[in-house]
Amino acid sequence: MQLQIILNGLALGSVYALIATGFSLIFNILKFSNFAHGATMAFCAFAGYFVAAANKMGLVPTIAVAVATGGLVALCGEFVAFRSITVRNASPIYYFVSSITLGTLLEGLVTIKAGANFYNYPLFFKKRIMKFHGLVISTSDVIMFCCSAAALLILVWVIRKTRLGRGLRAVSFDRDTAGLMGINVIRTIQFAFLLSGMLAGLAGVFLGINYTLYPTLGSLVVKGFIASVIGGLGSIAGALIGAVLLGLAETQLVNLVGSTLTPVLTFVIMLVFLLLRPRGIAGSNIQEKA
Amino acid sequence: MSSVLLTNILTQILINVICVAGIYVLTGMTGMFSLGQAAFMAIGAYVSGLLVTKAAFPFLPACAAAVAVAVAVGFVVGFPTVRLRRDYISLVTLGFGEAITGILNYFTPITGGASGLTGIPKKTDLGLALVSALIVVAAVGLFKTSKYGRQCIAVKSDDLAAKAMGVNAPRIKMTAFLLSVAVTAYSGCLYAFYTTYVDPTLFGWKKSAEWVIIVFFGGVNSLTGSVLSTVVLGGLPEFLRFLGEYRNVIYAILVLLIINFRPGGLLGEWELPFGKVLRRPDTGGE
Repeated sequence: MQLQIILNGLALGSVYALIATGFSLIFNILKFSNFAHGATMAFCAFAGYFVAAANKMGLVPTIAVAVATGGLVALCGEFVAFRSITVRNASPIYYFVSSITLGTLLEGLVTIKAGANFYNYPLFFKKRIMKFHGLVISTSDVIMFCCSAAALLILVWVIRKTRLGRGLRAVSFDRDTAGLMGINVIRTIQFAFLLSGMLAGLAGVFLGINYTLYPTLGSLVVKGFIASVIGGLGSIAGALIGAVLLGLAETQLVNLVGSTLTPVLTFVIMLVFLLLRPRGIAGSNIQEKA
Repeated sequence: MSSVLLTNILTQILINVICVAGIYVLTGMTGMFSLGQAAFMAIGAYVSGLLVTKAAFPFLPACAAAVAVAVAVGFVVGFPTVRLRRDYISLVTLGFGEAITGILNYFTPITGGASGLTGIPKKTDLGLALVSALIVVAAVGLFKTSKYGRQCIAVKSDDLAAKAMGVNAPRIKMTAFLLSVAVTAYSGCLYAFYTTYVDPTLFGWKKSAEWVIIVFFGGVNSLTGSVLSTVVLGGLPEFLRFLGEYRNVIYAILVLLIINFRPGGLLGEWELPFGKVLRRPDTGGE
């Protein structure tokens, strides 16, 4: 039974990890919390639904549509909402307001198309559960875990090994100096948004499979936020650790105290973390100015 | 437009003015973002509503108790966060909003859970809302020109420089946060006793986000602008009802345009020269 909960927790944690890393990428490079991330997820989940899933296409086309939409939406969002702030080098406060507004805009668009109705993704798998030595594992959980792990490994590879990834690290370390060293800062920021949007798309599909689709699905982004606070703001590794821990803790708590009280307890855990170790598990202590 | 409807809209706008005045202290003056401020409104609404309906408290003491509870909760939430980078307060308050919704849903026998708290007597009318809004706005205006208000603006412009000048930054952030919480909780009381019904979905983070947007729309450091934009942005949708679902989209596009082309907001730093309010063109903002 215990192993069962751990497995469910890992699957849930892998989706939280997608959300948290997408959020962390933007935090790293522009040093603000992107509140449009949740709405982007919801937007992609609906795009996947209306283009592929409603036409009885399989899981792969749905994911492809959602990921492509995510990349595109994030790029447009960067241009519409954040570019002028970056160029003017304005106070980070504006990023907040812009990202919140962009989130409202995307959510509004979803509401126009979808109304207040609920939608369900089709069942992609014939065999919904697998039995293995008395453990019940749902196929969607396995696929979810594998896809998230693959996506995150690719992301880590891109950031560690490629030229663009090195640029990304340089710009998030020091935007001005990186610019002086010949890195195209705007292009790099676009790249970060593209990656973050694609992760949001993937997360959106899995959230859609796991939950019912509704326009405010994006509010699940709170889980990503909590995960990155626990793991450490601005650290990709921290986001991963935090997300898996949060997933495990949540499934465990749902089992112990029920689903309505779980958000309260996760919030308390977050507060305790901030009191005892404000920089999170893996984060470095980020200061506004040193 | 019938006079009943007009009174209705005006009262709602005035209650919103109170909320936005609270957000102005937090965001406009001190540069902190709370995305769980609506949850404090929920605390105000539920605590006062429950005290009146279940414990037979009179209206005003119930409001006072509700505000006190909200401030106490605000202290617990704010204490670990005000020393940290400003992102933390928005993330923590966002999680706090979720937690409040969880609590309200959990204690269904008391709070009514998802179906909401009903049977609150109607005590708020246009007059009370107007008087409350005037008092709150005047108080915030006075706070802005006080020593604390100037410290807030210093913290917003540059945390470290303010610290170097001897401003106790965490403390001033806490003061601003708690003042804002108290004001928001009071508006929650007014709201509950106006609509006579509240449920947890009314107090999501979208509502808090909307208030932040309103403050920025009006002007980064202008109380006058914040109040004005509450009236404009609060009244406009009522007259644009026929646009239906497109309202939010148009609203968001408007705000994005303002941020891109007039980053200071409608009024920027300009303030109505009431009382001894001085203009401070060199603070905050860009």
